[in-house]
Amino acid sequence: MSTANGFKRVLPLRTAISTSAGLASAAINFLACVEIAEYAGGASAWLALLVAGTLIILAGANFSELNGMYPSSAAIRVWIRRGINDNVAMVTGFVYATTVIFVIAADAFVLGHVFQAAVPNVSGLIWIVLLLGLVTWINLRGIRLAGLVQDGNGFVLLATLVIFSFLVLLHPHVSLTAQRLFHFGPNWLEAVAVGIFIYVGFEWVTPLAEEFEDSQVIPKGMFIALGLIAVGFGLFTLALAVVFPNAGALKRSLVPQLIVGLRALGPLGFWWMVVVSLTTAMTTFNGGLATASRFVYALARERVLPPKMARLNVKLVPQNALLLLSFLSLGLAILVYLTGQYLFLINAGAAVESFMYAITAIVVANLRKREPNCHRPFHSWGVPWLSWIMAVIFLGLGIGSLLAPSGEQGFPGPLVFLVLLVAMSQIYVWKVVPRLKAQKRGVAKAVVPKP
Amino acid sequence: MDLLAALETFAEQCNQNQRLRQMNRDWSRLVELWATDTDQRYWLKSDAGSITAGIGEALEAELKISARNDILHDIFSGIITPTEPYNAGDLLVKGRQDDMMRLDIITLLIWGE
Repeated sequence: MSTANGFKRVLPLRTAISTSAGLASAAINFLACVEIAEYAGGASAWLALLVAGTLIILAGANFSELNGMYPSSAAIRVWIRRGINDNVAMVTGFVYATTVIFVIAADAFVLGHVFQAAVPNVSGLIWIVLLLGLVTWINLRGIRLAGLVQDGNGFVLLATLVIFSFLVLLHPHVSLTAQRLFHFGPNWLEAVAVGIFIYVGFEWVTPLAEEFEDSQVIPKGMFIALGLIAVGFGLFTLALAVVFPNAGALKRSLVPQLIVGLRALGPLGFWWMVVVSLTTAMTTFNGGLATASRFVYALARERVLPPKMARLNVKLVPQNALLLLSFLSLGLAILVYLTGQYLFLINAGAAVESFMYAITAIVVANLRKREPNCHRPFHSWGVPWLSWIMAVIFLGLGIGSLLAPSGEQGFPGPLVFLVLLVAMSQIYVWKVVPRLKAQKRGVAKAVVPKP
Repeated sequence: MDLLAALETFAEQCNQNQRLRQMNRDWSRLVELWATDTDQRYWLKSDAGSITAGIGEALEAELKISARNDILHDIFSGIITPTEPYNAGDLLVKGRQDDMMRLDIITLLIWGE
């Protein structure tokens, strides 16, 4: 592909949309849809998702401004380094990359249960191993193939979700009155708070910025993706609330989407939602591994991680980084599958994402002061006052996620875990990174692919 | 600081490296380098493993690299690795990820870490 001024081999807007939407559309979103419908008190869940989407658009504007200033695959590493400092950038980078593993493991847990329900004779663990193995193999074959898989799955997922929801909502027995659509339950604000987590992950498209020539493509892609997610999951949540007016009845299920599909459209709806669940997991596994492995590669090249993590295969894929992330995700997924402690991961992951949105709001405000003359193809809105409000809101949501009960006796496991993770990352940055950077040079052999 | 001379030396070293020639035999790309402070443009061309360098705008470039003149000079002279200015936001690249990886490997094979 060649653009008007001759720049060749650029990615289309389509890929920005599918990557952003695909990474946000995880299988765990269906569990969140049940919670949103329950808190919202029924059909008004769609409005809660819309309000949550507005908040996320503001976070998207911050990512757009930073991405326009520094369109780099090192993304947050560059922005936080310039907007706060190098130490915070490194620690945040480690924690953020770890979140990818949490999300993949939590999604694998849900996917395992979906397939266990669909094919009871085969253990969910086998499906998890097979699918993670397949996605790892696809990624080892090169970024182009991984991109095609992401494009295909992202669009199939959202299109089929919208069609499914319309089929349910347009059923002659369904009556959607204005009174029903705008009936707010007593916990409607909680529904908005949970609704935010439907969209998280949309910003993981920013490391692809270098592959688009026009710096407006990433903001456009993110905003269109947020709109598609709002439509896709908003309609599905509405369909869910219509089929199950008491959404709380689904709360104990790990596969609510299958139950909704079965009740709404019979076996067709059941299998339809199995396929949709598969596409959600594929986009999360695929996009997560592709993005995080490049991030680990960049850290290794900078000697923040061991040089072996920068080893490339003949397809120029950072194979050691990819395999490490894949094995860690698989290990954690198996652990979660056996213990059932998936809420722990979801809450920890949601908290990290919220904190990241708070930090980017602060970075935008700081960089407006530090680098006022830097070219900004996209200007975020209401800087700095709205930035600080956003920072406080997302900080509050993050703390709320960490304190949410996710185990027995209300022990705040995610809080303890995240504090430990940050502390370990900080110790690593203080103790190990200086040693790695001081190591004798000449590790080219450890990185370069074999001819 | 003569960036063109640095690029020409870089091209020569690439061409003398048998392993690089073999690795790049199926990699034909045009790379544009823009020294932002001097507003001068340069190009590097890889044609079936053979690298050439020159001055001027590169129409139809597949990879575009921009940084200050001194940073580009230091990278292509092997004084610094591209990673450090890249992660600091001082070196910006536009193009496909696999092409960037390839260029990173080329500098690595010539200059080491």
